[in-house]
Parts: sequence; structure tokens; C-alpha cells
Amino acid sequence: MNPTIWGFLKKELSQAVRDPRMRVMLFVVPVVQMTLFGLALSNEIRNIKLKVVRAPSDTLARQLEERCLASGWFVPAQGDSKETDYMHLLRSGDAHAILIMPPEGLTESFERGHGQVQLLVDASNAVRGRAIETYMQAVLAQVVQDKMPLAPAGPVQFDIRMLYNPSMRTEIFLVPGVMGMMICLITIILTSMSIAREKEMGTLETLISSPAAVWEIILGKTLPYVIIGMIDVPLVLGVAMLLFGVPMRGQYWELALSAFVFVCSSVSMGTMLSTFAKSQQEAMMGGFLVLFPCIQLSGIIYPLDNIPLAIKWIPYLNPLKYFAVLIRNIMLKGGDPAVMWPNLGAMALLAVIMITVSFRRFRGTLN
Amino acid sequence: MTPAEQKNFSLARALSIAKKEVRHIVRDPFTLTMALSMPVLLVTFFGFIIDFDVRNIKIYAVDRDQTKASRELKDLFTSAQLFDVIPAPETATPLQLLDEEKGKAVLIIEPGFQKKIKRGQTAHVQMGLDGADNQTAGIIAGYVAALQRAAVSLAGVKPNAPIELRTRFLFNPELNSHWFVIPGLAVVIVGILSILLTALTVAREWENGSMELLLSTPVRPFEIIAGKLAPYTALGLGSIIFVYWAARFVFGVPFRGNHGLFLLSSILFLGTALAQGLVISVVTRQQQIAMQMANMTGMLPSLMLSGFIFPIESMPVFFQRLTALLAPRWFMTANRGLFLKGAGLAELATPLTALLIINVVLLSLAAKKFKTDLEP
Repeated sequence: MNPTIWGFLKKELSQAVRDPRMRVMLFVVPVVQMTLFGLALSNEIRNIKLKVVRAPSDTLARQLEERCLASGWFVPAQGDSKETDYMHLLRSGDAHAILIMPPEGLTESFERGHGQVQLLVDASNAVRGRAIETYMQAVLAQVVQDKMPLAPAGPVQFDIRMLYNPSMRTEIFLVPGVMGMMICLITIILTSMSIAREKEMGTLETLISSPAAVWEIILGKTLPYVIIGMIDVPLVLGVAMLLFGVPMRGQYWELALSAFVFVCSSVSMGTMLSTFAKSQQEAMMGGFLVLFPCIQLSGIIYPLDNIPLAIKWIPYLNPLKYFAVLIRNIMLKGGDPAVMWPNLGAMALLAVIMITVSFRRFRGTLN
Repeated sequence: MTPAEQKNFSLARALSIAKKEVRHIVRDPFTLTMALSMPVLLVTFFGFIIDFDVRNIKIYAVDRDQTKASRELKDLFTSAQLFDVIPAPETATPLQLLDEEKGKAVLIIEPGFQKKIKRGQTAHVQMGLDGADNQTAGIIAGYVAALQRAAVSLAGVKPNAPIELRTRFLFNPELNSHWFVIPGLAVVIVGILSILLTALTVAREWENGSMELLLSTPVRPFEIIAGKLAPYTALGLGSIIFVYWAARFVFGVPFRGNHGLFLLSSILFLGTALAQGLVISVVTRQQQIAMQMANMTGMLPSLMLSGFIFPIESMPVFFQRLTALLAPRWFMTANRGLFLKGAGLAELATPLTALLIINVVLLSLAAKKFKTDLEP
């Protein structure tokens, strides 16, 4: 191996892992955070605080309430159960929804054949608001169905199959994406700050004036971070598979290749960033300005289908977006070649462009 | 100056620190623009992007019946404007379409669909959803349940429900997801930028050694902290006002609460974020680690655990309690309450108290760390 690069490699790696706090940041925190997010997060709306307003003698209304609570979606509202100021209940968050029976009672209006149940929904969270209505419709339909066993079944019955993730576990969806997020975060910040520090301390000038070639400097400064990123991959992958039981339906080499190309492209992103920053502070702010959009525009937290047309091209500049698609496809769907190669190619192309830009800017500093 | 005077908090000394800090900020246009304009730019940009309204979900239909009834069923899907029903290409199996990420669901109508309905039987329709994206799949499943009830129209029967559910969506009648996203986004962005701001400036002073110099003067740790935080709080408030304008006038989010309460909760929240940055910088004293820590303890938790997107109520109880330690979670509640629900002091008592407690804890932590550093 080229001795210059070998020297860089040793120096950078020892510098990065010399500080025990840095070791914790690099190798422990990603694992802990992934565990935390995997255990805690669920995008299913549950535990909706429901208050049912009904007369004590209204049996059908009682059945409806019991059904709601038994469904697992609803829990009883908090606070004073005698409270009659519904707006206050919703405003304070003690209740998310209030179900109000017709004045004559649900049992009676059902016997008459028509009645109206009012549902007041706290729609300040639009997603939850919509879910509450859907759930309530379903529970109500069930209660009515039970009361009219002789009514004909509907003409159409949908048999729904949840493919790839039959029990609809959020962690199966989320954890692979979060893996990408962690790796992206670590590599971009580390690379950009390390080069910016050399700039700040003036040691970069020394490097440039040394007999090392520009490509040797760039490779020497980036390769260590590719290695660190690649060490993190099996760590987070282990958590994903062993702790959360995320299936691995594709080939390991597919995943390794995708991870390698991804780490390379995010390291080159960090390098490019550092060529623009004059100080560590600028590198850090720049790092945030790059990372935050990368995470937001990756499709990891929410789908990207609704982006306005005018800015639809922006996510295509984001390596994390390609990696999120790849890792989900490989782990959950077995890695389809029609998805693999275009996404890998795009990621590699981005890496090449960014490293070329960095190379030119470095050479520019030289002259 | 007597020793007693030295022990007490001196406003004058804190002020001179603040003055120095203001000069720093003004001299450095990068930080100033960053702190003032970044939040509003980011909130506006991502406000347009983050959109939870569901529409135009691609569904591939394999229609092996090709009758009037099967067409009517497909029309049911398209009529709500939620779904784009696309005929599946003959060359691919339905599963392959999902494997290749071409659509989110496949609908398979078997031959004899119309015949069964005509005979008054129940016709089964198969639907395969892409569970790898359980968010979208869950939404589709919810709509399909409603469509199943609406499908009685296919048999020529009017839907007859003895009990009708009338839903009133309060605070956001059109279920506009921007109204829900923007106040939350403001919390996330202002929070993380404030953490970064202090984490960096103070870590830089440690690296330069100017902090040691400051500590050797008679200035007390609390005065340093107060003097450092005050200008940044003012800066943060400026950025919150910009964000507020963007929310009101770009996105049309209503503000139904009390502006005084909004100011109070903003100051309390800014205090926690800036103090967190301060603690990070005192603990790490090095910019690179400070940055990693700011992202790991600031950006990720406020994105994931604050209730911004993932509902807190859906978390296991232990984690629900854990989120109580996070300032963004409380400011999120307060902010959404103030903007959309018009919540008053009585309703916001818990979040405001929580913010106050977090403030006190973080500030004393920072002060204590400073003190131990002072002693040889």
C-alpha cells in the first residue's frame, strides 16, 4: 500500500478514536439510539383518549363504549369525568375525542331505525383526527352488525394481505431507515469537521506544501472515515436483526455493497462540505444544513410522495434517499435487481461528482 | 470589592459578559444571519414538503372480470381522489410490482365478480398491501374498510345505516396537515439551531483558551452563563417571531391563543435549548465532539421522540415517561395548543411547569460543571 496513505490512515484513525468520548459517540450511541427508537416509536395511532357521553341506562351505548375500549385503539379520557365543558377537555389534551349519544339514547334511536351519534374530534393533529374517525366508523359498523345478524353481508369483501410485514410492525419499517440515518450522521460530520479543523489550525497548508499529491491527501483524509462508517454497519445491522427481528430476505453481499457505496458517498459529501467551510463552526452549521434535509428528504420518517412538483427533483440529490430505498428493498423484499442497480448507480454517480468537486477545490487552494 | 460582594450575583458583571457576547455576534455576520434567517427558511421549505395528506396512492389493478361491476369497484377507489388505479401490466406478477417499488398496493378482481354480486352473494376481492411501508399501508387499510361499506351501491342498494356517525373535526376542520406540521417543525428547527449555536460558541472558547481567561477573572459562573445566554435568547426570540409570521401568513395557520403565553413558553423553551448547548460545550470542550453530541442529543430526539411525527400516546408507557425529560416535547404541546386550540394558562400549566423545571436543572448543571472546572 502507498505509504503516504497508510500514514494518513494511522494518524486519522488514532486521532478519531483516541478520545474515549468520541469512541462512545461513534460506536455506542448509534446502537443505543437505534434501540431506543425501535422500541419506542410506532406510527400507528393508539391510546386515543375517548370520552363517551351517555345515559347510565343506555345499554347499546354502553356496548359501543366497551367495544371502543376493547378495540385497543381507545382508552378512557383523563381528568374529571363530570366535566361538561367539552372544549376544555379537548383543549387541555385530557380527551382526544368525545362521542355524544343522541338525546333519547342510542338504544331507542336504534329501535326506531335512525339516529345520529356525534363525534367531536381534536383535529389539531390531522393524521390522528382522520384515524379517529376511521376507527370509530369501524367500531360502530361492528356494533350495528352484531345487532342485526340477519342483515345480508355486503356484496364485496376485501381480503387484505399485508405483504413483507404481516403484523404491521413499525420497527420493521423504521429500523432499516434509521440505520442509514445514523451512518450518514456520523460520517458526514466526522469527515467535514476533521478537514475543517486542519484548515483552522493551518495544518492543511502544511499538508498541501508537502510532497503528497492532492489525491493522496484526499484519499488519506477520507478513507479512515469510510472504514469507521463500515465498522458501524454491522453494529447497527446486528441490533436491527437480533433485537428487532428485522428479516434479511436478500443477500448479504447486496447489503454490503450498498452500504459501502452509501458510506463512500456520504464521506465525499462531508469532504465537499469541508472545502467550502473556513472554520469548524462553519463546517458544523453547514453539516446541519446538509444533514437535516438529508434526513427529511429521505423517505425514512414519512413518505416522499406528496412533495410539490417544483421541488420533486431535490430528493434525487440525496444519497440517503437511495440508501433508504435499497436497504428496505434488500432486507424486507429480498432485493430486486430492478431496484438495486439504478439506486446503486445513482448513489455512486453522486459520490463521483462530489469527490471531483472536492478535488478541484483542493487543487484550487494549492494554486 | 469585598468577598461578600464577589459571592453574590452581580448584574453588572453579567451585563458586561452579555455586551461582549453581543459584540461577538454582531462581528460575525455568519452566525447572525444563520441564527435569524435559518429557522424561517427551513420551516418554510420543509413546511411545503412534509405533507401527510394522502392522495394519489398508486394501486395496480388486475381485473380478471372486466365487467361493469368490476369497473364500478375501481371507480370507487378513484372517486375519493386518494388512489390512482392503474391497470397492471400483463408481463409482471402482482407481487413483482411491489418488489420493484412501482406501487403501494395491488387489487385483484377474480373472474365471476359481477355474477356473484348479481346473485346476491359476497364477492371476495384480494388486496395486497406493501407492508414494508406500514405507514401508507395502514392508511390504505383504513380507507378500504370504508370503501367496503360504500360498495353496497354495487348491488344497487342504497347504503342503509341505522346509526349515522357525524364527525366534527375541531380546531382544524379541513384536516390540513400543514396546520399540524408547521408549529411542530418550528419547535424542532428552532430547538436544534439554538443548541448548536451555544454548543459551538462556548466550545470554541474552551478550544481557544479564552474561557480559562474568563474564569480567572472575578466573574462568577452564573454570571458567565446568564451573560452568555441572554443575547442568544434575544436572537432566538427574533427567529421565533419570523417563524410565527411564516406560519401565519405563508401557510395560513391560525393563532388562537394568547400571545403573552406564546412569548413566555418560547422564552422558557429557548432557555432549555441554549442551556443544553451550554452543558454540551462544558462537558465536551471540543467542537467536533460537541457537534456529534448536539446532533445525537438534540436533533434526533426532537425529531423522533417529541411527538412531532410519531405520536407519544402510541409509545410504551416507559417511553412516554421518558419523553417527559425532553423540552421539545413540552414546547410542542404548548405550541400546538396555542396555535390551533387556543389553549389558556390552565390548559398549559403542565407543559410550562415542565419547561421551567428542565430549565432550572440544565442551568444548575452547567453552573456546577463550571464551578468544578474553576477549582484546580
